[in-house]
Amino acid sequence: MDVKYINPFIESFTDVMPQLGFDNVKMGALNTKGNEVTGSGIIIVLGIVGTVRGNVVYMIDTESAKQIASTMMGGAPVDELDEMANSALSELTNMLTATAATCFSNSGITIDISTPTMLQGVNMSINMTSEQTVGVQLLADDIPIEINISLED
Amino acid sequence: MKDIRIVIVDDSAFSVAFIRNILESNGFEVVGDAGTLEEVKNVVKEKKPTLVTMDMTLPGTDGLECTRAIHEIDESIKVIVISSMMDEEIVNEAKRNKVCAYIQKPIDTDELITAVNRAMAYDELYDFLKEEYFAVFKEALIDVMNRMTKTLITYKDEYCSSKEYESSGVAIIIGIIGEFSGRMILDLSRETANNITTAMFRKEPKSNDEIVAALGEFANIIAGNACSILNRKNKALGLRLAPPSVLSGDSVIISAPTFKTNTAIAETNFGELLMNVGFSRRGAEEWT
Repeated sequence: MDVKYINPFIESFTDVMPQLGFDNVKMGALNTKGNEVTGSGIIIVLGIVGTVRGNVVYMIDTESAKQIASTMMGGAPVDELDEMANSALSELTNMLTATAATCFSNSGITIDISTPTMLQGVNMSINMTSEQTVGVQLLADDIPIEINISLED
Repeated sequence: MKDIRIVIVDDSAFSVAFIRNILESNGFEVVGDAGTLEEVKNVVKEKKPTLVTMDMTLPGTDGLECTRAIHEIDESIKVIVISSMMDEEIVNEAKRNKVCAYIQKPIDTDELITAVNRAMAYDELYDFLKEEYFAVFKEALIDVMNRMTKTLITYKDEYCSSKEYESSGVAIIIGIIGEFSGRMILDLSRETANNITTAMFRKEPKSNDEIVAALGEFANIIAGNACSILNRKNKALGLRLAPPSVLSGDSVIISAPTFKTNTAIAETNFGELLMNVGFSRRGAEEWT
């Protein structure tokens, strides 16, 4: 997978998170994986079609997800990931991916995105179709979100 | 096209008359007009329009406040802004307020009529998809199962909801993108997954990778066939598929989406199989 497909997601994160009340945005580790992504907590999957085709998988552990939902909802405490909090998180990934799509279009790559599907569980393993997936660790006010990108020409 | 009832919101008598003339001479029915927030609320409640044209600058209010008031009364009413002011910021603000088109004054007749037709066609297209899609997906599952495993399935339960549910162990997710975006999920136990794969390969799968690959392709063919049929029925849908993601895990909850989905439980020779499909209206906001 071409590494240039990663930048739009980093750019989008840097652009969107401050608008939602996160002051500090940092990039953490970048790692390449095979076609399998594993984790526990929250997984949100969005499909991508267009000049490139694939999936983007957002992974957030449950405690971080609560903190993010809380900040997005103006600081109201979130003790449990209820429907409202889930909807905020889904909307977040939708905004991040849509903004990444705009960044892609600036470099001549047209993509469209599907609705997000959100899953919660432990020891989840998700298999993508492309041979290689790139995981990018991003931090918003030190809360980690991992974006796994699996795209093919 | 079905009856379209239009209300014109503008504080200039000249503009109201001008817009009314364009709309009526193109066969649309203008059922009322308004120039203030109070008048807007009253005329919308009383006349129940399908579409409203909206000026941006109004005495004591603005077009966006009026748009929000209209959608509080009835979310499905389409609003087209017609204003002398137009810049990126105000257009974005209008989009956030669920306006479906933005036209600048002086009004170009063709532009206005196209915007009205497009706003209404979008609604009809969504209604068409909503009516048709689930029967088509269910048929595709029966057909593909039959062709790939030579077995028949029966549907034992079916419901429409947007509730969360617990996965039986393996979920195959396919994102669908086109005029409307959505997704299909197939959900089954590990045992059923293994049984189906065995039937497709006609021998026990050697590894988990084989099961994942087989299920991904199985789901891809079902969704692909279903979307092709829908696209043939109405090519404006332009549905395309993202590649499948195959998820497994312990006590995985599939969260409720923000839109309504349909679920069918199929009884197969290999165990129970759940199919969940839904489309969101979201595409509506993507105009420029």
